[in-house]
Amino acid sequence: MSARAGRTGLAGGLFTALVLVFLLVPLGIVALFSLHSSPSLTFPFEGFSTRWYSEVFGNEAFREALFNSLELALATAAFTFVFGTAAAYGVTRSGSRLAGAGVAIFLLPITLPLLFVGIALLIALRRVDIELSLLTILIGHTIIAFPFFFMIARVALERLDPMLEEAAADLGASPWTAFRKVTLPQVFPVLLGAAALAFMVSLDEFVVTFFVSGNETTLPLFIFSRLRTTLNPSINVVSTLLMTITLVLFVFAFVMGIRAERRRARRAASLLDAVQ
Amino acid sequence: MSSSASAPIEPPSVDPMYPGAPPDLPPAEARSAAGPKNRRTLAIAAPAAGYLILFLVVPVVTLLAYSVLTAGFFTVSGPLTLDNYKQALESDLTWQLGRNSLIVGGLTAAISVLIAVPVAYWLRYHAGRWQLAVMFLVAVSMFASYLVRIYAWRTILGTNGVLNTALIDLGLIDHPSSLFIFNQAAIVIALVHISVPYVVLVMFAAFRPIEPRYLEAARDLGGGTVQRWRRVVLPLIAGPAISSFIFIFVLASADYVTPQFLGGPGDAMLGVNIAAEFTASGNWAMGAALSGIMLAAYALCFAVAAIGLRLAGLSKIRWTT
Repeated sequence: MSARAGRTGLAGGLFTALVLVFLLVPLGIVALFSLHSSPSLTFPFEGFSTRWYSEVFGNEAFREALFNSLELALATAAFTFVFGTAAAYGVTRSGSRLAGAGVAIFLLPITLPLLFVGIALLIALRRVDIELSLLTILIGHTIIAFPFFFMIARVALERLDPMLEEAAADLGASPWTAFRKVTLPQVFPVLLGAAALAFMVSLDEFVVTFFVSGNETTLPLFIFSRLRTTLNPSINVVSTLLMTITLVLFVFAFVMGIRAERRRARRAASLLDAVQ
Repeated sequence: MSSSASAPIEPPSVDPMYPGAPPDLPPAEARSAAGPKNRRTLAIAAPAAGYLILFLVVPVVTLLAYSVLTAGFFTVSGPLTLDNYKQALESDLTWQLGRNSLIVGGLTAAISVLIAVPVAYWLRYHAGRWQLAVMFLVAVSMFASYLVRIYAWRTILGTNGVLNTALIDLGLIDHPSSLFIFNQAAIVIALVHISVPYVVLVMFAAFRPIEPRYLEAARDLGGGTVQRWRRVVLPLIAGPAISSFIFIFVLASADYVTPQFLGGPGDAMLGVNIAAEFTASGNWAMGAALSGIMLAAYALCFAVAAIGLRLAGLSKIRWTT
């Protein structure tokens, strides 16, 4: 590497480090103050205490929000897994021209600002007199999480080695058996990672939930209501909880993805060896 | 490697979880043939398509229909009318909020792209063994909750916030300054914080097919830094950069929460008003008309960008991955 490239690399590395500080330090500060012993949200830091955790976990409204959020996230992940896998399989395995239109519909939710998804869903539900409830929140979350799952599932299915499915069909497996015994096991870790992503999207969702929640509450709605009334470290506690769950799931999804990717690379290499 | 010099550049598709995946794929033409083809297989995708049509496409059409109906309180009725649009477009408030949305959206998008391009460039060509770790940190920050970020910036920028106390401790100011919060800059900072990770991942995907040897070739042929960027790098990344710009512009300009917590009284945006029409004010027809205006403005942006890129002879924008 030339001296010049070295300088560019150093400058770029410093800039990237600053950007990482900008991205991560505010989140770290939120987590830090969740452990603050005083109600103050600013330095100097007066000492560690778990009092805000006790306060929050003792709060009835919080516990309800937590259970609702976990229930919704789990249901969203399950729904998205079934719908999304079917959609991605259908789109990648049919030669039909309609598949393009399908892809456009499946990605529509991320091209539209969530504000419009929220208000449109609200008026449509009211139009047919559906009461707002956890179910209507679930409908909203599934719409939003769907494209993320679909994109990942589609890439995973497209990258599969076609010979394996063909071999299964030649050996007399029905399409369903071939899918269950040959296709699914190969992509399952990635799909599980993508479902974790859907879980995260649901857990953090606020913009659409706000419109279709009726009298129900979720963790982001709980944060929202506290933001308007009491600014104290209890908000940091709920935020830190959300970030922790998200981080754990993200690491899980990341590891699943890396493992699948490495396995695929190894298989590609061994196939290449076999051919040569 | 997955692409050759003549291949069209990859769309700004990124696998949000595995951006660092080794590019060891066979060419796209070979890959898309994966598995036995069967037209009927598409039927398996029908339930999901039906779901999105029922709960997204039909509602959006309903929303647009409401914009030309007569307003009631939390309801609409016939006859058809264009009054809502007329009223919305004649109101000074609409234009003021629209200008705020445009400024916040444009600044957020421009700053995010300007920050993300050097980061993605460094990640692609210079990061070496740091690549996966940095990518992981960027992606982690992408999944932090939207409200948590707004809250974080509120505690940092607030009058008694972290920034003020730090500046006082450093002796740079005497009293807490209220200059950091409740203005457009605070809104833009929070929205940039939300947007940068997306753009970094998209731009990294854009740099991925540009192999270092292309840049070396340009240098060997006598191109200076400026010329290399102008003739080689920019044409290859312009498509993804512009589509990220538009994506972030739309996301930021339609925001309705950040202005409520970080903006001042004069910094409301169109989205805030639309949200209010559907909740507190109950004027659905007006909210729908404002939504129609915003959607039309976005469609215009897409069209201008697509035509502009085509006229410039650059890769056309790809909206899907």
